[in-house]
Amino acid sequence: MNAPTTTLTDRYVWAATRTVPEAQRPDLDRELRERIGDASDALVGTGRAPADAERMALVELGDPAAVAASYVDRPLQLIGPRYFLTWWRLVKVLYAVVLPISAGAVLLAKMLSQAPIGESFAEAFSVAFALAVHLGFWPTLIFAILERSPARAPDLTWTPDMLPELPETGRPGRLGDLIASLVFLGLFAGVIIWQGYGAPIVRPMGEPVPVLSPELWSFWIPWFLVIIGLEMVFASAIYAWGWNWWLAVVNLLLNVAFAVPALWLFTTGQLINPEFLDVIGWPWGEAGGVVTTIIVFAVIAVTVWDVIDGVIKTVRGRGGSALALGRI
Amino acid sequence: MSMDDTTAGHLQELRRGTVVLGCLVRLREPDYGYALLESLNRIGITVDANTLYPLLRRLEKQGLLTSEWNTDEARPRKFYRTSAPGEQLAADLTADWKNIDRALARLTSGDAR
Repeated sequence: MNAPTTTLTDRYVWAATRTVPEAQRPDLDRELRERIGDASDALVGTGRAPADAERMALVELGDPAAVAASYVDRPLQLIGPRYFLTWWRLVKVLYAVVLPISAGAVLLAKMLSQAPIGESFAEAFSVAFALAVHLGFWPTLIFAILERSPARAPDLTWTPDMLPELPETGRPGRLGDLIASLVFLGLFAGVIIWQGYGAPIVRPMGEPVPVLSPELWSFWIPWFLVIIGLEMVFASAIYAWGWNWWLAVVNLLLNVAFAVPALWLFTTGQLINPEFLDVIGWPWGEAGGVVTTIIVFAVIAVTVWDVIDGVIKTVRGRGGSALALGRI
Repeated sequence: MSMDDTTAGHLQELRRGTVVLGCLVRLREPDYGYALLESLNRIGITVDANTLYPLLRRLEKQGLLTSEWNTDEARPRKFYRTSAPGEQLAADLTADWKNIDRALARLTSGDAR
């Protein structure tokens, strides 16, 4: 044996043994030296130079880390087939549920605290980004540890009870939804425009008073009308294709785009025309605060329910369990 | 995947269990890894070193083989030998192998139908 050959073997053996527990090192050390020695001797026997033979034997043996891992039965994947589906379903649920709710909440909170719109969106985005990193990292870490723990995990095996319902195929049922949506949205847009010109409430002398603040015509009322138009397009898309994950996400975005500015304008007193409040005698004594709170919560509840309803219909339509969020 | 890869994959699957049986029978006489590899390949039980060495370790862990280090020569070598449970398993596997062989023979000759 000449010096460089020995060095290569030594380096290989060291690289392989250093990652296995102390007690198993001498055994692996000897096994590898036996195997490398026998393999390269055989190659020398076929007429190769010892150094080449050594190198070829090591190449055939492969990555020392993989050899060591197989020696101690250490998995070579972060999350193996035993846990992959459970991990995948969990991550999808977290992203689909926690992320939009948190981003929407931050956006609303920033707007309520009178922050500029740009800053509010930037803050919501940065919170959503940080959250996305955390939501991806921690479950993966936990499952990777689970993968490496010798004890069997809690029973997460699949049972026939988890089988999804078959998708409902009734397009006629959706036609009713479409008509109802279009009629409601049309009326809603009509009321918004109508209250600005010929309003239902009039001053004692007969001059109409708009319900919504006239200053909003510069930006926010057109914004809401555009959102209502998009909602109509959206309702048609639901009729055409049925619920799917893309549309459930669009539904969420539309709801956020409508509810967040509306609540912000309402709670900061920019939504309702002050003159209109005068005419109806607002605030109605003690009841004012309560009514405001009820309206805010009602809007939030309706919005959240609409988003959840979309998700439920998507899950049923796609034939997934509640855990099958995703495939987005 | 080309047709040859498909064939090779199926052949590998078919032979996987026969390597275990080959080892258990061959190691009634104690021997070390490389000698076993050579002799199995010589008699037509083709096996790769990267398959055989981990397999020997697994069989030892399962108690089907016992091992002993021979340090008489310059290079210490681990000698494996079939244990009593290993003999029992070899008998079971051989019996099953013969059953499968008979079943396939009946299929081929058409008696089974």
